[in-house]
Amino acid sequence: MIQYVSMKIDGAIFKVPKGSSVLDVAIEYGICIPHLCHVPNISDLGACRLCIVEHVVEGRSKVTTSCTLRVQEGMVIKSNTQKIKRLRKNIAELLVSQAPNSKAIQDIAVRCGVKTVRYPFRNDNCVLCGRCVRICREQWQAKAIGFVGRGKDRRVKSPFGVKSETCKMCGNCIDLCPMTITPCDGPMKPGEEYLCGKCESQLMEAESAVDQCIMCGLGEGFQCARH
Amino acid sequence: MQPQPLETLLEGRRSQPHQLIEVLQDVQAQYGYISEEAIRTISKELGVPLVDVYSVVSFYKAFHLNPRGKNVITMCTGTACHVRGAKLLLNQAISQLGVQPGDMTDDKLFTIEHVNCLGACALGPVVTENGSSHHHMSPGKLRKLIDALRARDEKPEQEADHA
Ligand code: SF4
Ligand code: SF4
Ligand code: FES
Repeated sequence: MIQYVSMKIDGAIFKVPKGSSVLDVAIEYGICIPHLCHVPNISDLGACRLCIVEHVVEGRSKVTTSCTLRVQEGMVIKSNTQKIKRLRKNIAELLVSQAPNSKAIQDIAVRCGVKTVRYPFRNDNCVLCGRCVRICREQWQAKAIGFVGRGKDRRVKSPFGVKSETCKMCGNCIDLCPMTITPCDGPMKPGEEYLCGKCESQLMEAESAVDQCIMCGLGEGFQCARH
Repeated sequence: MQPQPLETLLEGRRSQPHQLIEVLQDVQAQYGYISEEAIRTISKELGVPLVDVYSVVSFYKAFHLNPRGKNVITMCTGTACHVRGAKLLLNQAISQLGVQPGDMTDDKLFTIEHVNCLGACALGPVVTENGSSHHHMSPGKLRKLIDALRARDEKPEQEADHA
Protein backbone atom coordinates (compact mmCIF):
# COMPACT_ATOMS: atom_id res chain seq x y z
CA MET A 1 0.00 0.00 0.00
CA ILE A 2 1.31 3.41 -0.89
CA GLN A 3 1.65 5.72 2.06
CA TYR A 4 1.02 9.39 1.64
CA VAL A 5 2.50 12.38 3.40
CA SER A 6 1.31 15.95 3.25
CA MET A 7 3.73 18.74 2.55
CA LYS A 8 3.77 22.33 1.37
CA ILE A 9 5.54 23.82 -1.62
CA ASP A 10 5.27 27.59 -1.95
CA GLY A 11 2.22 27.57 0.31
CA ALA A 12 0.26 24.95 -1.61
CA ILE A 13 -0.51 21.74 0.26
CA PHE A 14 0.08 18.43 -1.49
CA LYS A 15 -0.58 14.84 -0.52
CA VAL A 16 2.17 12.84 -2.13
CA PRO A 17 3.46 9.26 -2.01
CA LYS A 18 6.16 8.63 0.54
CA GLY A 19 9.60 8.25 -0.97
CA SER A 20 9.19 10.61 -3.89
CA SER A 21 11.55 13.52 -4.24
CA VAL A 22 10.55 17.15 -3.84
CA LEU A 23 11.53 17.82 -7.44
CA ASP A 24 9.28 15.04 -8.73
CA VAL A 25 6.35 16.47 -6.79
CA ALA A 26 7.01 19.97 -8.11
CA ILE A 27 7.23 18.71 -11.67
CA GLU A 28 4.03 16.76 -11.31
CA TYR A 29 2.09 19.74 -9.97
CA GLY A 30 3.41 22.32 -12.38
CA ILE A 31 5.79 24.26 -10.18
CA CYS A 32 8.84 25.30 -12.14
CA ILE A 33 12.05 24.22 -10.49
CA PRO A 34 14.70 24.36 -13.21
CA HIS A 35 16.81 21.23 -13.31
CA LEU A 36 19.42 19.68 -15.50
CA CYS A 37 20.98 16.53 -14.16
CA HIS A 38 17.71 14.93 -13.06
CA VAL A 39 16.49 12.15 -15.36
CA PRO A 40 13.20 10.42 -14.49
CA ASN A 41 13.60 6.88 -13.14
CA ILE A 42 17.35 7.19 -12.75
CA SER A 43 19.03 7.80 -9.41
CA ASP A 44 19.64 11.44 -8.56
CA LEU A 45 23.12 12.76 -8.12
CA GLY A 46 22.64 16.43 -7.24
CA ALA A 47 25.37 17.47 -9.63
CA CYS A 48 24.05 20.55 -11.38
CA ARG A 49 22.64 22.29 -8.27
CA LEU A 50 20.02 24.08 -10.37
CA CYS A 51 17.10 22.56 -8.56
CA ILE A 52 17.89 24.18 -5.20
CA VAL A 53 15.00 25.08 -2.89
CA GLU A 54 14.66 26.38 0.63
CA HIS A 55 13.70 23.72 3.12
CA VAL A 56 12.22 25.39 6.17
CA VAL A 57 12.74 23.53 9.43
CA GLU A 58 11.56 25.19 12.64
CA GLY A 59 11.71 28.63 11.15
CA ARG A 60 15.21 28.21 9.77
CA SER A 61 15.70 27.59 6.11
CA LYS A 62 18.30 25.38 4.53
CA VAL A 63 19.18 25.60 0.86
CA THR A 64 19.39 22.16 -0.67
CA THR A 65 18.85 20.36 -3.97
CA SER A 66 15.26 19.22 -4.37
CA CYS A 67 16.08 16.21 -6.55
CA THR A 68 17.89 14.52 -3.68
CA LEU A 69 15.43 15.66 -1.01
CA ARG A 70 12.79 13.07 -0.05
CA VAL A 71 9.37 14.27 1.02
CA GLN A 72 8.49 14.13 4.71
CA GLU A 73 5.32 14.67 6.64
CA GLY A 74 4.76 18.36 7.30
CA MET A 75 7.66 19.48 5.16
CA VAL A 76 7.74 23.15 4.11
CA ILE A 77 9.50 24.01 0.87
CA LYS A 78 9.95 27.38 -0.78
CA SER A 79 11.06 27.14 -4.35
CA ASN A 80 11.10 30.70 -5.60
CA THR A 81 12.23 33.10 -2.90
CA GLN A 82 14.50 36.00 -3.77
CA LYS A 83 17.41 34.13 -2.25
CA ILE A 84 16.81 31.03 -4.34
CA LYS A 85 16.36 33.07 -7.50
CA ARG A 86 19.64 34.85 -6.89
CA LEU A 87 21.55 31.65 -6.18
CA ARG A 88 19.97 29.81 -9.06
CA LYS A 89 20.77 32.59 -11.46
CA ASN A 90 24.38 32.44 -10.41
CA ILE A 91 24.47 28.66 -10.85
CA ALA A 92 22.97 28.98 -14.33
CA GLU A 93 25.54 31.63 -15.12
CA LEU A 94 28.35 29.30 -14.09
CA LEU A 95 26.89 26.46 -16.14
CA VAL A 96 26.59 28.58 -19.26
CA SER A 97 30.14 29.84 -18.86
CA GLN A 98 31.35 26.25 -18.56
CA ALA A 99 29.42 25.02 -21.58
CA PRO A 100 28.00 27.79 -23.79
CA ASN A 101 27.86 25.39 -26.70
CA SER A 102 24.62 23.77 -25.60
CA LYS A 103 21.21 25.08 -26.47
CA ALA A 104 19.82 23.33 -23.42
CA ILE A 105 22.14 25.19 -21.09
CA GLN A 106 21.63 28.49 -22.89
CA ASP A 107 17.90 27.97 -22.46
CA ILE A 108 18.25 27.23 -18.78
CA ALA A 109 20.19 30.46 -18.41
CA VAL A 110 17.33 32.35 -20.07
CA ARG A 111 14.80 30.70 -17.81
CA CYS A 112 16.82 31.57 -14.74
CA GLY A 113 17.09 35.20 -15.78
CA VAL A 114 20.76 35.38 -16.69
CA LYS A 115 21.41 38.60 -18.62
CA THR A 116 25.18 38.79 -18.61
CA VAL A 117 27.88 36.24 -17.91
CA ARG A 118 30.49 37.55 -15.51
CA TYR A 119 32.73 34.50 -15.74
CA PRO A 120 35.17 33.70 -18.51
CA PHE A 121 33.74 31.22 -20.99
CA ARG A 122 35.53 27.91 -20.66
CA ASN A 123 33.74 26.05 -23.42
CA ASP A 124 34.53 22.70 -21.88
CA ASN A 125 31.64 20.90 -23.58
CA CYS A 126 30.71 19.04 -20.43
CA VAL A 127 29.10 20.20 -17.22
CA LEU A 128 29.71 16.91 -15.39
CA CYS A 129 26.00 16.41 -14.90
CA GLY A 130 26.56 12.66 -14.90
CA ARG A 131 23.49 11.90 -17.01
CA CYS A 132 25.56 9.77 -19.37
CA VAL A 133 27.33 7.96 -16.56
CA ARG A 134 24.15 7.12 -14.71
CA ILE A 135 22.10 5.98 -17.70
CA CYS A 136 24.97 3.74 -18.77
CA ARG A 137 25.30 2.28 -15.31
CA GLU A 138 21.71 1.96 -14.25
CA GLN A 139 19.64 1.47 -17.37
CA TRP A 140 22.10 -0.52 -19.43
CA GLN A 141 24.20 -2.07 -16.72
CA ALA A 142 27.10 -1.43 -19.05
CA LYS A 143 29.36 0.70 -16.83
CA ALA A 144 31.29 1.71 -19.90
CA ILE A 145 31.97 5.29 -18.86
CA GLY A 146 32.57 6.97 -15.55
CA PHE A 147 34.02 9.96 -13.80
CA VAL A 148 37.80 10.02 -13.86
CA GLY A 149 40.14 12.29 -11.92
CA ARG A 150 38.99 14.77 -9.35
CA GLY A 151 38.48 18.42 -8.65
CA LYS A 152 39.06 20.60 -11.66
CA ASP A 153 40.48 17.66 -13.59
CA ARG A 154 37.32 15.56 -13.31
CA ARG A 155 36.21 14.20 -16.67
CA VAL A 156 33.82 11.70 -18.12
CA LYS A 157 35.90 9.01 -19.71
CA SER A 158 35.99 5.35 -20.59
CA PRO A 159 38.79 3.35 -18.96
CA PHE A 160 42.17 4.25 -20.52
CA GLY A 161 40.41 6.50 -23.03
CA VAL A 162 39.52 3.68 -25.42
CA LYS A 163 36.08 2.33 -26.19
CA SER A 164 34.99 -0.02 -23.43
CA GLU A 165 34.41 -3.65 -24.17
CA THR A 166 31.27 -3.38 -22.07
CA CYS A 167 29.75 -0.59 -24.19
CA LYS A 168 26.50 -1.78 -25.74
CA MET A 169 26.47 0.94 -28.37
CA CYS A 170 23.02 2.00 -27.25
CA GLY A 171 23.80 5.67 -27.74
CA ASN A 172 21.80 6.72 -24.69
CA CYS A 173 24.72 8.60 -23.22
CA ILE A 174 24.67 10.82 -26.30
CA ASP A 175 20.89 11.19 -26.36
CA LEU A 176 20.81 12.44 -22.80
CA CYS A 177 23.80 14.76 -22.92
CA PRO A 178 22.84 18.44 -22.85
CA MET A 179 25.74 19.17 -25.16
CA THR A 180 24.22 17.37 -28.12
CA ILE A 181 21.88 20.20 -29.09
CA THR A 182 24.02 23.06 -30.32
CA PRO A 183 22.88 26.69 -30.39
CA CYS A 184 20.70 27.68 -33.37
CA ASP A 185 23.57 29.56 -34.98
CA GLY A 186 25.79 26.50 -34.89
CA PRO A 187 28.61 25.60 -32.55
CA MET A 188 30.59 28.49 -31.10
CA LYS A 189 34.28 28.76 -31.76
CA PRO A 190 36.65 29.00 -28.81
CA GLY A 191 37.12 32.66 -27.98
CA GLU A 192 33.84 33.69 -29.60
CA GLU A 193 31.35 32.39 -27.08
CA TYR A 194 28.37 34.47 -26.10
CA LEU A 195 25.20 34.29 -24.08
CA CYS A 196 22.55 33.49 -26.63
CA GLY A 197 19.29 34.79 -25.13
CA LYS A 198 17.76 35.04 -28.58
CA CYS A 199 14.44 33.53 -27.69
CA GLU A 200 12.86 36.92 -26.90
CA SER A 201 9.36 35.60 -26.44
CA GLN A 202 10.54 32.94 -24.08
CA LEU A 203 12.53 35.53 -22.24
CA MET A 204 9.39 37.56 -21.66
CA GLU A 205 7.54 34.52 -20.43
CA ALA A 206 10.43 33.68 -18.19
CA GLU A 207 10.19 37.10 -16.59
CA SER A 208 6.45 37.13 -16.07
CA ALA A 209 6.11 33.63 -14.68
CA VAL A 210 9.26 32.47 -13.04
CA ASP A 211 7.60 30.21 -10.57
CA GLN A 212 5.10 28.26 -12.64
CA CYS A 213 5.56 25.76 -15.35
CA ILE A 214 4.59 27.51 -18.54
CA MET A 215 5.43 24.52 -20.71
CA CYS A 216 8.11 26.79 -22.01
CA GLY A 217 9.66 24.23 -24.31
CA LEU A 218 13.12 25.42 -23.40
CA GLY A 219 15.52 22.57 -23.92
CA GLU A 220 12.63 20.37 -24.91
CA GLY A 221 13.37 16.70 -25.21
CA PHE A 222 15.76 16.21 -22.40
CA GLN A 223 16.29 19.15 -20.11
CA CYS A 224 12.99 19.38 -18.32
CA ALA A 225 11.54 16.13 -17.09
CA ARG A 226 8.07 17.52 -17.81
CA HIS A 227 8.35 17.04 -21.55
CA MET B 1 64.14 -6.78 -4.76
CA GLN B 2 61.81 -8.55 -7.12
CA PRO B 3 58.22 -7.30 -6.76
CA GLN B 4 55.70 -9.90 -5.72
CA PRO B 5 53.53 -11.10 -8.59
CA LEU B 6 50.00 -9.81 -8.75
CA GLU B 7 48.75 -13.34 -8.14
CA THR B 8 50.26 -13.32 -4.67
CA LEU B 9 48.88 -9.88 -3.88
CA LEU B 10 45.41 -11.01 -4.86
CA GLU B 11 45.49 -14.15 -2.78
CA GLY B 12 42.62 -14.39 -0.31
CA ARG B 13 41.07 -11.22 -1.67
CA ARG B 14 39.42 -12.46 -4.84
CA SER B 15 35.76 -11.57 -5.36
CA GLN B 16 35.89 -9.07 -2.51
CA PRO B 17 35.17 -5.66 -4.01
CA HIS B 18 35.77 -3.90 -0.68
CA GLN B 19 39.44 -4.94 -0.83
CA LEU B 20 40.00 -2.72 -3.85
CA ILE B 21 41.98 0.04 -2.14
CA GLU B 22 44.16 -2.41 -0.22
CA VAL B 23 45.05 -4.33 -3.36
CA LEU B 24 45.79 -1.11 -5.24
CA GLN B 25 47.99 0.11 -2.40
CA ASP B 26 49.96 -3.13 -2.46
CA VAL B 27 50.41 -2.99 -6.21
CA GLN B 28 51.50 0.63 -5.96
CA ALA B 29 53.99 -0.23 -3.21
CA GLN B 30 55.42 -3.21 -5.08
CA TYR B 31 55.63 -1.79 -8.59
CA GLY B 32 55.71 1.96 -8.05
CA TYR B 33 52.75 2.37 -10.37
CA ILE B 34 49.61 0.58 -11.47
CA SER B 35 49.71 -0.69 -15.02
CA GLU B 36 46.76 -1.06 -17.36
CA GLU B 37 47.22 -4.80 -17.24
CA ALA B 38 47.15 -4.78 -13.45
CA ILE B 39 43.96 -2.68 -13.45
CA ARG B 40 42.26 -5.11 -15.83
CA THR B 41 43.28 -8.12 -13.75
CA ILE B 42 42.22 -6.49 -10.50
CA SER B 43 38.86 -5.56 -11.98
CA LYS B 44 38.26 -9.13 -13.08
CA GLU B 45 39.50 -10.81 -9.93
CA LEU B 46 37.76 -8.56 -7.42
CA GLY B 47 34.57 -8.21 -9.42
CA VAL B 48 34.72 -4.42 -9.59
CA PRO B 49 33.73 -2.83 -12.93
CA LEU B 50 36.77 -1.70 -14.88
CA VAL B 51 35.63 1.91 -14.99
CA ASP B 52 35.33 1.98 -11.20
CA VAL B 53 38.86 0.70 -10.68
CA TYR B 54 40.09 3.27 -13.16
CA SER B 55 38.13 6.04 -11.42
CA VAL B 56 39.57 5.12 -8.04
CA VAL B 57 43.13 4.98 -9.36
CA SER B 58 42.76 8.34 -11.06
CA PHE B 59 41.09 9.90 -8.02
CA TYR B 60 43.78 9.33 -5.42
CA LYS B 61 47.11 11.10 -5.67
CA ALA B 62 48.74 8.09 -4.05
CA PHE B 63 48.12 5.93 -7.11
CA HIS B 64 50.01 6.39 -10.35
CA LEU B 65 49.07 5.21 -13.80
CA ASN B 66 52.54 5.75 -15.26
CA PRO B 67 55.88 4.34 -14.12
CA ARG B 68 57.81 6.70 -11.87
CA GLY B 69 61.52 7.33 -11.67
CA LYS B 70 63.80 6.01 -8.96
CA ASN B 71 63.92 9.45 -7.36
CA VAL B 72 60.71 11.38 -6.96
CA ILE B 73 61.26 15.09 -6.46
CA THR B 74 58.21 16.82 -5.10
CA MET B 75 57.89 20.60 -5.03
CA CYS B 76 55.48 22.29 -2.74
CA THR B 77 53.59 24.92 -4.71
CA GLY B 78 51.31 26.01 -1.90
CA THR B 79 50.79 29.70 -1.21
CA ALA B 80 53.73 30.22 1.13
CA CYS B 81 56.19 28.28 -1.01
CA HIS B 82 54.83 29.96 -4.13
CA VAL B 83 55.51 33.38 -2.66
CA ARG B 84 59.03 32.30 -1.76
CA GLY B 85 59.79 31.15 -5.28
CA ALA B 86 58.53 27.60 -5.74
CA LYS B 87 58.02 28.45 -9.40
CA LEU B 88 61.74 29.02 -9.85
CA LEU B 89 62.46 25.64 -8.30
CA LEU B 90 59.98 23.94 -10.57
CA ASN B 91 61.49 25.61 -13.61
CA GLN B 92 64.96 24.63 -12.46
CA ALA B 93 63.96 20.98 -12.15
CA ILE B 94 62.09 21.01 -15.46
CA SER B 95 64.99 22.50 -17.36
CA GLN B 96 67.63 20.38 -15.64
CA LEU B 97 65.82 17.10 -16.17
CA GLY B 98 64.04 17.96 -19.38
CA VAL B 99 60.68 16.50 -18.39
CA GLN B 100 57.34 17.93 -17.40
CA PRO B 101 55.86 17.32 -13.93
CA GLY B 102 54.38 13.83 -13.75
CA ASP B 103 56.67 12.38 -16.42
CA MET B 104 59.73 10.22 -15.93
CA THR B 105 63.17 10.95 -17.38
CA ASP B 106 64.37 8.56 -20.08
CA ASP B 107 67.02 7.06 -17.81
CA LYS B 108 64.22 6.14 -15.35
CA LEU B 109 65.99 8.04 -12.57
CA PHE B 110 63.73 11.04 -11.93
CA THR B 111 60.14 12.11 -11.75
CA ILE B 112 59.09 15.63 -10.84
CA GLU B 113 55.83 16.25 -9.08
CA HIS B 114 54.17 19.16 -7.39
CA VAL B 115 51.75 19.18 -4.51
CA ASN B 116 49.58 21.93 -3.13
CA CYS B 117 50.88 22.01 0.41
CA LEU B 118 53.23 19.94 2.49
CA GLY B 119 52.23 21.67 5.69
CA ALA B 120 55.62 23.16 6.44
CA CYS B 121 54.95 26.67 5.23
CA ALA B 122 57.38 28.36 7.61
CA LEU B 123 60.24 26.35 6.11
CA GLY B 124 59.37 27.13 2.50
CA PRO B 125 60.12 26.67 -0.22
CA VAL B 126 60.06 22.98 0.59
CA VAL B 127 61.14 20.16 -1.71
CA THR B 128 60.91 16.51 -0.79
CA GLU B 129 63.11 13.93 -2.39
CA ASN B 130 62.03 10.31 -1.93
CA GLY B 131 60.14 11.26 1.20
CA SER B 132 62.83 13.30 2.96
CA SER B 133 62.27 17.03 3.12
CA HIS B 134 64.61 19.84 2.22
CA HIS B 135 63.73 23.26 3.57
CA HIS B 136 64.54 26.78 2.36
CA MET B 137 65.45 25.49 -1.07
CA SER B 138 66.89 27.62 -3.81
CA PRO B 139 67.39 26.75 -7.48
CA GLY B 140 71.13 26.36 -6.80
CA LYS B 141 70.62 23.96 -3.92
CA LEU B 142 68.12 22.01 -5.94
CA ARG B 143 70.55 21.68 -8.84
CA LYS B 144 73.18 20.29 -6.49
CA LEU B 145 70.68 17.90 -4.96
CA ILE B 146 69.68 16.54 -8.36
CA ASP B 147 73.33 16.26 -9.43
CA ALA B 148 74.19 14.38 -6.25
CA LEU B 149 71.31 11.96 -6.72
CA ARG B 150 72.27 11.39 -10.31
CA ALA B 151 75.93 10.77 -9.41
CA ARG B 152 74.85 8.31 -6.75
CA ASP B 153 72.51 6.36 -8.97
CA GLU B 154 74.53 6.34 -12.16
CA LYS B 155 77.62 4.82 -10.58
CA PRO B 156 76.39 1.32 -9.79
CA GLU B 157 75.19 0.96 -13.36
CA GLN B 158 78.61 1.88 -14.74
CA GLU B 159 80.26 -0.57 -12.39
CA ALA B 160 77.86 -3.21 -13.58
CA ASP B 161 78.81 -2.38 -17.13
CA HIS B 162 82.51 -2.92 -16.38
CA ALA B 163 81.99 -6.21 -14.67
S1 SF4 C 1 26.53 3.78 -25.82
FE1 SF4 C 1 27.93 2.62 -24.50
S2 SF4 C 1 28.79 4.17 -23.13
FE2 SF4 C 1 26.91 5.05 -24.00
S3 SF4 C 1 25.28 4.52 -22.51
FE3 SF4 C 1 25.29 2.93 -24.11
S4 SF4 C 1 26.60 1.31 -23.23
FE4 SF4 C 1 27.04 3.20 -22.06
S1 SF4 D 1 29.22 14.27 -21.21
FE1 SF4 D 1 27.20 15.30 -21.28
S2 SF4 D 1 25.79 13.98 -20.13
FE2 SF4 D 1 27.89 13.38 -19.62
S3 SF4 D 1 28.39 14.56 -17.76
FE3 SF4 D 1 29.16 15.76 -19.51
S4 SF4 D 1 27.47 17.16 -20.01
FE4 SF4 D 1 26.60 15.55 -18.71
S1 FES E 1 21.04 18.96 -8.76
FE1 FES E 1 18.93 18.47 -8.82
S2 FES E 1 18.51 18.36 -10.92
FE2 FES E 1 20.69 18.68 -10.91
